[in-house]
Amino acid sequence: MDLDFTIVLRYYDALLIGLWTTVQLTMVCIALGCALGFVTALGRTSKNFALRAITGTYVELFRGTPVLIQLFWIFFCLPLILGVELSNFISATIALTLYMGAISSETFRASLKSVGSEQLDACIALGLPRSVQIRNIIMPQAVLRAVPTLLSNCVSLFKESALVSAVGMADLMFVGQNISNNIARPVEVLTVVAIIYFVIAFPITRAVTFVERRMLIRLAI
Amino acid sequence: MVASSPLVKMQSLHKSYGDGAVQVLKGIDIEMKPGERLVVIGPSGGGKSTLLRVMMGLEQIDSGSITFAGQPYVSSASREKKTLIDTEVRRSIGMVFQHYTLFPHLNILQNLVLAPRKVRNEPKASAEARALSLLERFGLAAKARAYPAQLSGGQKQRVAIARALMLDPKLMLFDEVTSALDPELVSEVEHVIMQLADQDMPMMIVTHDMWFAKNIASRVIFCAGGVVVEDGPPEQVLGSPREERTREFIERVFHIKQ
Ligand SMILES: Nc1ncnc2c1ncn2[C@@H]1O[C@H](COP(=O)(O)OP(=O)(O)O)[C@@H](O)[C@H]1O
Ligand SMILES: [Mg+2]
Repeated sequence: MDLDFTIVLRYYDALLIGLWTTVQLTMVCIALGCALGFVTALGRTSKNFALRAITGTYVELFRGTPVLIQLFWIFFCLPLILGVELSNFISATIALTLYMGAISSETFRASLKSVGSEQLDACIALGLPRSVQIRNIIMPQAVLRAVPTLLSNCVSLFKESALVSAVGMADLMFVGQNISNNIARPVEVLTVVAIIYFVIAFPITRAVTFVERRMLIRLAI
Repeated sequence: MVASSPLVKMQSLHKSYGDGAVQVLKGIDIEMKPGERLVVIGPSGGGKSTLLRVMMGLEQIDSGSITFAGQPYVSSASREKKTLIDTEVRRSIGMVFQHYTLFPHLNILQNLVLAPRKVRNEPKASAEARALSLLERFGLAAKARAYPAQLSGGQKQRVAIARALMLDPKLMLFDEVTSALDPELVSEVEHVIMQLADQDMPMMIVTHDMWFAKNIASRVIFCAGGVVVEDGPPEQVLGSPREERTREFIERVFHIKQ
C-alpha cells in the first residue's frame, strides 16, 4: 500500500474551515453549557423539590442516552414539535449545550458540596451576609475546585462534537470524511484528522494536571 | 457599664442534636462579667464546642436565651420553633475555631479585610491599613500576600485571630485553638491570646492546656455531661476542686501531660 500524506496538504484550507467550525461550536457550547451547568447544579442542591426534580430529570436523561440520539432528536424531532426550521448551527448548539450542561452540572455539584460547612461557620462568625457568602466564598471556591474536571468536560465536548457531522454539519470530521471519500485516501486523511483533534485535545488534558499541581495545591483547595 | 451588669447572661440553655435524640446542653446558666476571662474545661463530648457555637449563633437551640450587654440575641421557646438570632448583636462577638477556617482562595490580607469591607463598608485603604498593623503586631507582616496554604498552623491560627479582631469584637470565643497544632507552635498562638488578655479583652476559652488555662483564666468552668459541674476561680477549680468529677478530670489531664 502506497501512502502519500502530502496529498492531504492540498486540502488544508477546507480542513481549516472545518476545524474553525468545530472550534466555534465547541467554544459557544462550553460557555453556554457551563452557565447552564452551574445553574443546574444550584437547582439540584436546592431545597425546592420541584427544582430538584426538573434539574435531576434533565441531567439523568442526558447522561443516560447516547449523544448521537440527543443530536438526532434535536435535529429532526424538535423542529417538528416546535413547528420551526432550525439552522444546523442552532440545532447543534442546542444539543451540545444541553449535553455540556448535563455533564458540567455534575462537576459543579461535587465542587459545591466540597465547600465545607466550616467555611460557612467562618462566614457567619464574621457576620457576612448571605449574598457575600455565596459571591465571595462559595462561588469562587466551587469554581476553582471544578476547573480540572471542567477542563476534562471541555475535552469530551470537543471530541463528541464530531458527531454533528452525522447530521450534515460541515465540521472538521465532516470535511475530513468528504475529502477522504472523494479522493479515496481514507488512511491519510482520517489519520490527519485524528491528529488534528489530538493536537488540540492533548494540551488541554495536560493542563488538567498542571492546574491540579500548581493552582489547587498552592491554594490547598 | 456598671460593674455588676453581666456582659453575657445565659439562661437555661438546652440543646440537642438529631431531633432531640442526643441531649448535649442540659440547662446551662452562666453569667459572665465584663473583663472576665472564662476558661471552659471538661471531657471531650461534654458539649464545650456546642456551647460556644450556640453563643456564636451557629446552632439552633431547644430552649433558653442568651443576652449580650443586656440585649437578648439568642432565644428559643421550644425545639419546634426556629431559634431567634439577632445578627446585629452577634457582630459584637468574634470566634476562632480549632481548624483555622481561613478562606483558602484569598490571601492573608484579603482574608482580613473581607468582613470589614462587606459588613461595614469600610474603605479599602483604611481596612488594609488596619489589617497590616494587626499583622505587624502578630509578627505576620511578611505574610500579607501569602495564601493560607503557605502558612504553618501557628501562623494560620494567628491570622484567624487577627481576622476576628478586624471587626472590633467586644467578646472573643476560642474553641481549642491550639489542639490541631504541633506542640512547638502552641506557644506563639497562646502568646497572642495573652496579649489580648493584657488589653482586657473579655474572652471565653475552651482548652485542654492546663498551663494555659491557669495563666489566662480569671475564672474556670468545668463542664461535663451538658451541665456546669464546677465554677470558680482558677486556684479553686484547677488547684483544689470541690467536686469529685472535676478532681478526676484534672488528675487525668495532668497525668497525661507529664
Ligand atoms: N453536628 C452534630 N450532630 C450530631 N451530634 C453532634 C454534633 N456536634 C456535636 N455532636 C455531639 O454532641 C456532643 C457534644 O459535642 P461537642 O460540643 O463537640 O463537645 P466537646 O467540644 O466538649 O468535645 C458529642 O456527643 C458529639 O458527638
Ligand atoms: Mg470541642
